[in-house]
Amino acid sequence: MPPILRVENLHHTYTRQGHPVQALRGVDLTVEAGEYVVLLGHNGSGKSTLARHLNALLLPDQGNVWVHQWNTRDPAHLRAIRSMVGMVFQHPDNQIVATIVEEEVAFGPENLGLDRSEIRRRVEEALAQVAMQPFRHRAPHLLSGGQKQRVCIAGVLAMQPQVLVLDEATAMLDPQGRRDLLALVARLHRKQGVTVIAVTHFMHEAIDADRVVVLHEGRVALQGPPRWLFQQPEALRALQLDLPPASELAQALHRRFPAFPADRLTPEEVATAVQTYRPLQPAPQLLPPLLPTPSRPPPLLELQHVAHFYMRGTPLEIQALSDVSLAVHPGEIVGVLGATGSGKSTAIQHCNGLLRAHAGHVRVLDQDLSDPKVDLRAVRRAVGLVFQLPETQLFEQYVGDDVAYGPRQLGLPHAQVRRRVQAAMAAVGLPFAAFKDRVTWTLSGGEMRRAAIAGVLALEPQLLVLDEPTAGLDPQARQLLLRQLLDLQAQGCTLVLVSHNMDELASLCHRLAVIAEGRTTLTGSPAEVFAQPTVLRAFGLELPAMAQISERLQSEELLPPTAAFYTLAQAEATLSQLLAEPGKKPG
Amino acid sequence: MSEFEFLRNVTVGQYLPTNSPVHRLDPRTKLLLTLLMVLAATSTASPLATLLLLGVLGGVTGLAKLDARYVLRGLLPVAPFLLFLMAMQLLFQGRFSLCSTVWYEWHFVRVTPCLLELVLLGALRLLLFLFVLSLLTLTTTAAYLLHGIEQLLGPLQRIGLPVHEFALANIIALRFIPTIAEELERVAKAQVSRGGEFGSEPWYRPDRVARARLPLLVPLFVNTLRRAEELVVAMQARSYLGSQGRSRFVELRLRPADWGALALGGALLLLVWGLA
Repeated sequence: MPPILRVENLHHTYTRQGHPVQALRGVDLTVEAGEYVVLLGHNGSGKSTLARHLNALLLPDQGNVWVHQWNTRDPAHLRAIRSMVGMVFQHPDNQIVATIVEEEVAFGPENLGLDRSEIRRRVEEALAQVAMQPFRHRAPHLLSGGQKQRVCIAGVLAMQPQVLVLDEATAMLDPQGRRDLLALVARLHRKQGVTVIAVTHFMHEAIDADRVVVLHEGRVALQGPPRWLFQQPEALRALQLDLPPASELAQALHRRFPAFPADRLTPEEVATAVQTYRPLQPAPQLLPPLLPTPSRPPPLLELQHVAHFYMRGTPLEIQALSDVSLAVHPGEIVGVLGATGSGKSTAIQHCNGLLRAHAGHVRVLDQDLSDPKVDLRAVRRAVGLVFQLPETQLFEQYVGDDVAYGPRQLGLPHAQVRRRVQAAMAAVGLPFAAFKDRVTWTLSGGEMRRAAIAGVLALEPQLLVLDEPTAGLDPQARQLLLRQLLDLQAQGCTLVLVSHNMDELASLCHRLAVIAEGRTTLTGSPAEVFAQPTVLRAFGLELPAMAQISERLQSEELLPPTAAFYTLAQAEATLSQLLAEPGKKPG
Repeated sequence: MSEFEFLRNVTVGQYLPTNSPVHRLDPRTKLLLTLLMVLAATSTASPLATLLLLGVLGGVTGLAKLDARYVLRGLLPVAPFLLFLMAMQLLFQGRFSLCSTVWYEWHFVRVTPCLLELVLLGALRLLLFLFVLSLLTLTTTAAYLLHGIEQLLGPLQRIGLPVHEFALANIIALRFIPTIAEELERVAKAQVSRGGEFGSEPWYRPDRVARARLPLLVPLFVNTLRRAEELVVAMQARSYLGSQGRSRFVELRLRPADWGALALGGALLLLVWGLA
């Protein structure tokens, strides 16, 4: 059988800000029918451009792309090509056309000119495949991100494609939404033989693929099965990528114990490898028990039993928060977890008085925000709030001017504005001299994100609240940003991080609060929170990869609960002790 | 303290699902009945007939299981405009009055019984238009209204009017209203969090007002354009190549209830004409 997709010496150049950008410089790639291929690569490596060539959304400058036996340059086959290769994009909000779910799913079949009974049949089938039938009459904007993406997939499935291209389709989803979407795609691949091409920044999403293709500078730099590929950590790092967390641990253990298999990729595999490495006795207590919490200074910020309603006083009123309590002490990093729609974004908007508590109290710097005498501008200076995708809120042409907006609003003298802008830009790794006169829109995604954060830092807040600061960034930009946040904390800034990324929260935070269904359901140290996997899963969350390994070993009674771990460093230390126990020397 | 909730006070154009018989009518029926109502109200000069029409609308409100107070509250924002209009008519329209009886005269102001009748009629008509439009949008989703318009105007496509494109563009606009409202709210909150303050500029300095609005409008424009670009790509990816060769999923069917409602509407129009 001929390959379903064939890309030959593909070149593509587009113009950005008047400059030609060579996105693809000679890509060769063949995909067989029924394959599951994951495309990796840092931002700007050309992977999205390549994806858009696969169904003739873009046409080659040089080289050829064949879908089935059709060349994408031939306009006669355009409809056939686009119904054979379906695409789902990153932002569900920007690809939904209709105002009702079933009409959205029908959009593609309508374009193919099918008759009404056939469209009806396909809509039913597609909605059933993504388990969204109960929502068929809903308006899309009332669905969660994960549900919206499932509707988008249904819209593509209704065209009965043979190839499904996912362009970072999981980037904006919460853990549950991501898990559901990946399971759905895996099912379509396995049961219906759909060919899948997934573009992603999440290394662990590459694990289930038949083949991983890494793009770099517009060429295929590396490709192979995931188990082989993730054995090349140096090569991956050179391509600005990283390893799935479990794989990183397996390789660290392999370096210490050469007999430990380095090619384990998932938490389950690593846990099994630890068990079978050699029969282990239940381990003795390995780590000292948790120390009692030292007495802390009074909190900078405190939410006490906060409740909030939207559309209050209308027939459409909904309760977003019913009972949220949270205390943030100076110098801490506090993580806030919760699925989409849990109320965590509503909760953090109480921190600087953007929203008013309809019940309960918000205290900032010893002032109760419900007191009408409180100077909210002072509160907003003390509590910096960085919204999701803050780069979409930039408005000035030059980076320096945008960062200066806050200090200028304060009416500070020029020299002070300049000093603050300099300090804020330095804190996020954008040197003032080099970046102040850069045009905002020419920065890379990661740089724009950091410039936007600098705009809040320029107010010199005592407390910085960040909503999903790393969402949508590639691995390198993500690592860089996290390091800078840690530096900020070391300089005395208190941080609140809202995130879906459990691994990130596990490695950064002193304390965690879980918000679900409008209330704080769990608070405590990461060790305490991650000791409640059933509660977390019930609310659509997941354990960090390391805690999953720890959980498995505990359930096999190989690890006492007191030795539970949740970060890579802890896992490495604990497992090294466990594997190196006297009795048998490894190797 | 101000609260940031931009969608809360918009009731005109709001849809309230109560699954009433009125909600279940075909959108074409409701569009035609709305037209009949407007025709009836404009073709009669009798305040009595207009009051009768308002009464009928009250009945429809009940039939649609809507709270009359909620519907009327949506009309409140028009009240100042309405009062201004009535005042203007009272002041300047009297000179053209045909009545011979004059109740009050002062310079150019002349109040006559016919003038009062005219002012009252005008106010009632305006209320009626707003009332009937609110009822239409409260009981019909905007998407179905557009489907109805598309099918009613369908024959015009044949003489080259882009009816389908018009309907699709409007559906997309509707689809993005909540998205862009949310975006505006988020951008405003972000800028306020950065020390921005909107609305404190003096009104007589439009330059400063405009300058203060830039932090809201620039991101909104940029993001909307980006969304539009992404949407075009997503539509193309799903084989959208214009209305040519496209079929239609939504099926509108006129049921007996629709014919009955149209007949009642027609009868009402005749009754109003009879009263005149």
